[in-house]
This record gives sequence, structure tokens and C-alpha cells, in this order.
Amino acid sequence: MRRLAILGLGVLVPLHVGGTVSPREWLQPAAYAIAPLPAAGTARAAGFIPRHPARRSAGEQGRGGLATGVRPGVVRGRVDLRRPPVLPDRRPNVPQLGAPAAPGVTDLVRSVVYLETAPRGAFDQNDPARAVLDQRNETFVPHVLAITTGTTVDFPNSDRIYHNVFSFSKTRTFDLGRYAAGRSKSVRFDRPGIVRVFCEIHSHMNAFILVFNHPFFALTDREGRYRIENVPPGSYTVVAWNEGIASASRSVVVPEGGTTEIDFVLR
Amino acid sequence: MRWRRGPTALLATLIVGVSPSAPAQDLPSGPLVFGAGRVTVGGEASATFSCASTADDACSDDTGFFNYSDYERSTLRGTRFDLTASVKASGHVWVLADLRVENGRRPTPYALYARIRPWERRPFDIQVGRIPPTFGSFSRRTYANDNFLIGYPLAYQYLTSLRPDALPANADELLRMRGRGWLSSFSVGNQTPDRGLPIANVFRWDTGVQVHIATRLVDAAASATTGSLGNPLVGDDNAGRQVAGRAALHPSPGLIVGGSISRGPFVARTAGAAGGVSLDTRRYTQTAVGVDAEYSRQHYLVRLEAIASWWTLPALGSPSLAEPLGAVATSIEGRYKIHPRWYAGARFDRLGFSTITGTTHADSWDAPVTRIEVGGGYSVQRNLHLKMTFQHNTRDGGRVRTLDLGAVQILFWF
Repeated sequence: MRRLAILGLGVLVPLHVGGTVSPREWLQPAAYAIAPLPAAGTARAAGFIPRHPARRSAGEQGRGGLATGVRPGVVRGRVDLRRPPVLPDRRPNVPQLGAPAAPGVTDLVRSVVYLETAPRGAFDQNDPARAVLDQRNETFVPHVLAITTGTTVDFPNSDRIYHNVFSFSKTRTFDLGRYAAGRSKSVRFDRPGIVRVFCEIHSHMNAFILVFNHPFFALTDREGRYRIENVPPGSYTVVAWNEGIASASRSVVVPEGGTTEIDFVLR
Repeated sequence: MRWRRGPTALLATLIVGVSPSAPAQDLPSGPLVFGAGRVTVGGEASATFSCASTADDACSDDTGFFNYSDYERSTLRGTRFDLTASVKASGHVWVLADLRVENGRRPTPYALYARIRPWERRPFDIQVGRIPPTFGSFSRRTYANDNFLIGYPLAYQYLTSLRPDALPANADELLRMRGRGWLSSFSVGNQTPDRGLPIANVFRWDTGVQVHIATRLVDAAASATTGSLGNPLVGDDNAGRQVAGRAALHPSPGLIVGGSISRGPFVARTAGAAGGVSLDTRRYTQTAVGVDAEYSRQHYLVRLEAIASWWTLPALGSPSLAEPLGAVATSIEGRYKIHPRWYAGARFDRLGFSTITGTTHADSWDAPVTRIEVGGGYSVQRNLHLKMTFQHNTRDGGRVRTLDLGAVQILFWF
């Protein structure tokens, strides 16, 4: 009976007061209203209490959000890329009078690791956060940005030339127009999903913005290491992502105050 | 004037392929790179269809030949596929090429040249071969993806009655050809009717050497080639060389102000020889001067270009063509993005000609033309676009003096 009661809650409550997120829901926000019930041992069962930090990844948020006495766990590991991804090159600039300036170096080795299902309280409304996606040497820096819903991303132009940032992604469609060096424009991302960002003037410029509606994700370092902190004890599935390719979901159990290690191989 | 089934079928296939149920997400979105990064291959495919409203037909071809680049090719009807490649031969040398297929015909090398950068860190390049045009601004924006409308500016496409291989014997003969550049004929030289020359021909590239230097404020280029501005060539036809130069100033990120100049013999050796007169064809030149400006900010873009051209022809008979024949083309175009996927654009074009005196009257040596093109585009995805334009043409001469056309284009690039 208790299970049924919780199931009913899980079906009826809107997203902002609970539920878990699967990758499909990521891309289809309408599904949130029928978000599945958190599995036994997930945050709700483990006593996760919503808190209201700026929407950053759990690792950046510090140790808030848990009931007194419940120690959060850590998911960490490494993502190995069998073959390093190749950046789409500049199109052959046949009609130009000379060779164009070489663009900056794009960091393609960073992956994103995230919990596919997240504790209920992770969806509570948080304070708005800000992030920056710079345009420098005809390159978006960073190449991959992982944020939570509600985050406003600034797109400063640090080049001496014009750029025109745009995206046709269903998650967020926008076109910032052309603006000069030292100027910046912003976009707020309210829906979870993957946003591909391009420059209309320089077709080789592209970036990814991964928008989560929970803070349990982490960007790998250049060696592929990641660390998702403050994870409420429970059972989860974890996914690694790199340049549009996602790994299969892997199940993990995060013990109270413990560390769970899980490695991925992509490509 | 002929319309083949092949392009129609391709256009239909492309349009069907863009149905909402098949959002072309699997198409390549960037150039193909192989050979350890040494070879980059890109491409652009476009299909264009237009209808002119005439008394006889609700969807006729361009009966006034306003948009033809030769007697058989309309820029508003047909298919085009460009396969472009860049091969990095060394740290200093690249080979660039564009293989073009139009209307299913034989592939032609639209561009094939070597780019040499003597000093790796200095933006100084030497380009040798079938090189991009030095003159003008639109000349390097002729790919469908760079042209936010479908038609071309008159200076770069509209055919005047002048020909390199045939010469008018006198002013009367030239006046008789007013408004007939699509199929012009004169009595001296090649007497077979053929297309005339535009002011600047962007449907072929010239062959020669080009140097280019870029600084923070200025881009400058100069070239020596075998053909002329209106008649680019692979093989020389008159032992003359065209010299051209261009400088573009970038005073602020959104502003480009450019100036171009070119001069080169345009009369073919055969034209003079056939006339039975001894001509030093190097004396009969096309000289052109162009100014252009571009300003963009936020979601709008405005471009302005003006080109003046003079041709000197031999004075073969009376009434003579002793004075250079002049033409001035001006165009202004603008684009505004209404929505991330939608934009609206327009271009106003005017092409005028100098006056010559014939036996009975004085008139401009070719018929002045005015064109207004308005339209817009929709991006299905980043590299798949649909365009639709409406064009109004008027001409002060020729068989068809006014013509309205509607055109659609689908375009894919990678």
C-alpha cells in the first residue's frame, strides 16, 4: 500500500516537486509529468531534503541538501576515449583570397558524466546561476558546458571580429545576432536537453551545452577523471557522454558517506 | 530554354526529403576530413526553379533572358553541385579545387589553384592557377549559401551585347543588339550568334597569379590573369594580361569598405583577324572600377556595390565607335533576421549604359535594366535552407521589356 501511495504521488506531482529523470525525458520534457517513481533507496528514501543553491553541479554545491546525519556519497571514475574525437574542420575556403587565420584549439577530450536518474529534491527550484561561453580565436570556450535548468549563459565576444551565435536545438532556439568585441549577450536555458551552438559567420565554430534539471553531473578533466559529489545514498544509473555519443547506462549503488567508482570507455 | 527532366526530378527528391517526418538529421553537417587531416572536402548542392507570369503561360521560363548566364542556362532554373577540396601539401602549400556540375552536365573545374604561404605566421599568400576573382565584393559570394537571395546582381550576371570574338562594324550594328545579350551577333569575327559578356563574369574563374596580404585594418590583393573581367579564361586568346587589384578596409568589426580596379584586353585575336584588319588586340581593353561597402549589426546586414566599366573597341566603320563604351551597375541589398530560422532580404539593381550615336539616332549602346528582388529564407537545419524570392525586371529595350518571376531554391552544404 505504501508503495502504491508513493507511486500515485510520483505520477501526479509536477516536476518541480519531485520525480526522476531518464535520458528520454531529458529530450522530451513533456514526459516529466509522468516521471517514474524513484527506486527504493534513492534520495527520497534516503532522506534527501531539497535545498536552494544556485544551479551548479553537485560537486560544486558543497554538502548541503541532506538531512542531518545523512552523509552523501561520491561517484567518481574515469572516461577513456578509444579514439580522440575529431573536430569538424573549416570548410575548404576556395573563394577566399588567402588562407584564413587559424582558429584556437578546441578541447574535445572532456566528457560529461551524469546520473540518469536523480533524487527527487534535485528538481526543486534553485536560485538562478550564470555561466560563460566565450568566443575567442574563432572558437567557443569551453567547447562543452554543462549547466542546470534556469542557468543564464553569457556569450561574450572576445575576438576583434564579429560572431553570430545561434542554435536551432529544440531545447533552446536562439540567434544572438552580430555584436562586436567586448560585448556580450545572454540566453537563459529553462529546459533540459542538449543544445548545439554555432556561429553563423564561422561554420567551423561549434559547442555543446548540456542542460540538466538536476545537479548530479560532472565534467571530466583532461585525463578523463570525474567526480560527482554530494550524491544522496541510493541506487542510480550513470551515463558518460562525449561529443554527441552517450555510453550505455551503468547501475551503481552509492553507500552513505561512501565512494563508488565506475569507469567508462567511449568511442 | 530547354528544361530537362533530370533537374526536376532532383528538385522533387530534395523537396520530398525535407518533409517534417524526415528531418535530415543524418546528413553530414560539416566537411569530410581524411588523410590525417590533410584533405578536407566540402560541398554544396542547390536546386532552383522559377516561374514567370506571361500572357501565354502561368509558369513560363524567363522569356526575357534577364537571368541567363548563356543562351541555355538560367540562374533561376537548374541544379548545381559543387565539390570543394583543400589538400595540404606541406606547411606552406595547399591545393584548392572546386569541381562543379550544373544541370547534370559534365563536371568542370570551376577552381583549381595552389595557395602558397611563404611565411607560416605572416598572412601573405600567393595563389596560382584558376584563382578566385580579385575584383569586386559579390564575385566571391556566388555560392548559394553566401547569396541570401536567389538571383545575382546585374553586374555579375546580366549579359551585355558585347562579345570577345565578334565585333560590331559600326555603331548601328551595336544599337541593333540592344537588349539581346543572351544571343548577340556582329558582322566582324565569329558571326554565329552567341552570348555576350557581363561586366564581371562569375560563372568562370580566371587563370593566373594572385597575391594577398591581410593586416588588422586592410585586406589587399592583386592579380595578373589571362582573361578579362567579363571574360575569364583558362587559355589566352589575345596575348594580353589582365591586372586587377582590390583593397578592403575594416575600420570596425561590422564595416567593410572596399575598392577594386581591373584592366585587361578583351578582344580575341580571331575577331580582329576575321575582320581583315590588323588589330593589336592588346589596345582594346575592358577597364573597371568598383566600390563596395558592407555594414552589419545585430540581425541586419546591408551591402552596397557600384561598378563602372569601359570597353574600347576598334573603330571599324562609320558611324564609328571611337569612344569607349561605358556601363555602370549599382546594387544595394539587405537582409534582416526575423527569427533564428527565418530571414527576409531584398536587392535593388540598376545597370545603365553610355550613349552612342548611330546613323539615325543616339541611344544607350545596350538597354538599361532595373531589377528588384525580394524574398526570404528558412533554415530547416544549419546547413539545409529553403529560399523563396520574387523578382521584377524592367528593360528599356529588347523583345521582352518587363518580366516578373517567382523562384524557389533548396540548398544543402557540408
